[in-house]
Amino acid sequence: MANIAAQRIKREFKEVIKSEEVAKCAIRVELLNDTFTELKGEIAGPPDTPYEGGTFVLEIKVPETYPFNPPKVRFVTKIWHPNISSVTGAICLDILKDQWAAAMTLRTVLLSLQALLSAAEPDDPQDAVVAKQYKENNEMFQITARHWTNVYAGGPNINKDCDDKIRRLADMGIEEHQARVALSSYDWELERATEQLFS
Amino acid sequence: MSGITENTKTSGEPSKENPSPNSSDTPDDEKKDDRMFECNICLDTAKDAVVSMCGHLFCWPCLHQWLETRPNRQVCPVCKASISKEKVVPLYGRGSTKQEDPREKVPPRPAGQRTEPEPGSAFPGFGFADNGFHMSFGIGAFPFGFFTSTFNFGEARPTPAARGTQQHMEEQFLSKIFLWMAILFVAWLLLA
Repeated sequence: MANIAAQRIKREFKEVIKSEEVAKCAIRVELLNDTFTELKGEIAGPPDTPYEGGTFVLEIKVPETYPFNPPKVRFVTKIWHPNISSVTGAICLDILKDQWAAAMTLRTVLLSLQALLSAAEPDDPQDAVVAKQYKENNEMFQITARHWTNVYAGGPNINKDCDDKIRRLADMGIEEHQARVALSSYDWELERATEQLFS
Repeated sequence: MSGITENTKTSGEPSKENPSPNSSDTPDDEKKDDRMFECNICLDTAKDAVVSMCGHLFCWPCLHQWLETRPNRQVCPVCKASISKEKVVPLYGRGSTKQEDPREKVPPRPAGQRTEPEPGSAFPGFGFADNGFHMSFGIGAFPFGFFTSTFNFGEARPTPAARGTQQHMEEQFLSKIFLWMAILFVAWLLLA
């Protein structure tokens, strides 16, 4: 059966390369080995979202039972999104679980993930902290997501306020990413973040 | 004729009547034609093609494996309409009748359902013609009514020729089970 999987990935790979989304630089796929079991995906942050301008790298693992079972996909680029773990990059998306259908392809999976970035599902969260912020303080969520896009995905929007607060924690000897997570989780309130870090 | 040729040329369709072979076009067009018959699962040209009620084309081995993978969620891999093994239509193209041994790893693809044209649906047991056995329960003179009705399957009925397939074996097996059930039931009645 591994044969079907490799055959299909080969075909899909060609399909993605030829697709118009690649022409528009919206999605990209790269092979990581010649057995077609591991691939690297890339999606562009959709316009009019905090992810705009960023490029998000995905790890795609193709199981032996593909296409009867979905590929295992995870964000390698750190991202602030209710349905994606800010720690592991694990994705909560139904089509990657029980709603998978054998006719779906790498192209449709990447496009679905791009759609997920435009339309979060905070009621079915992967990251509870992010989802809570999304629902209770959406403005702060937008700022945080945009900042993460800038730092990790090469987005254009630099937020000086965020950077300053992180530097202040860094000056206290806290690792930058750890400081960013703490501040992000506490709506960028320096005191509460510091309290949490030193408790 | 020249008008037709011109038409086909301009619309860009594959023109077989065109006397001058347009060498650069033909392979591409053929590929396009092939793609219309790709299995939606393996993306290769469909082998042992079947079509679901929602109109999606698959290789029978591919679709079978998909249905086996999710026994409690039998949906079309393309449109997620509910589908079942019994309700797919096999496609028999001309010249593709080379029958390999159907009993390989995958069970044979379901046969096409062929209905006789005349509206003779009045004759009893018509719906069972496919299954090759008929079972009916009736109220009759107590032990005999049951007995005779259970033995209906032995009767000469227009059964489809024994196919030597799994289905045939299953039928035989089922027949035997019913026979033993009847014998046990009668024995129990006599003893009680």
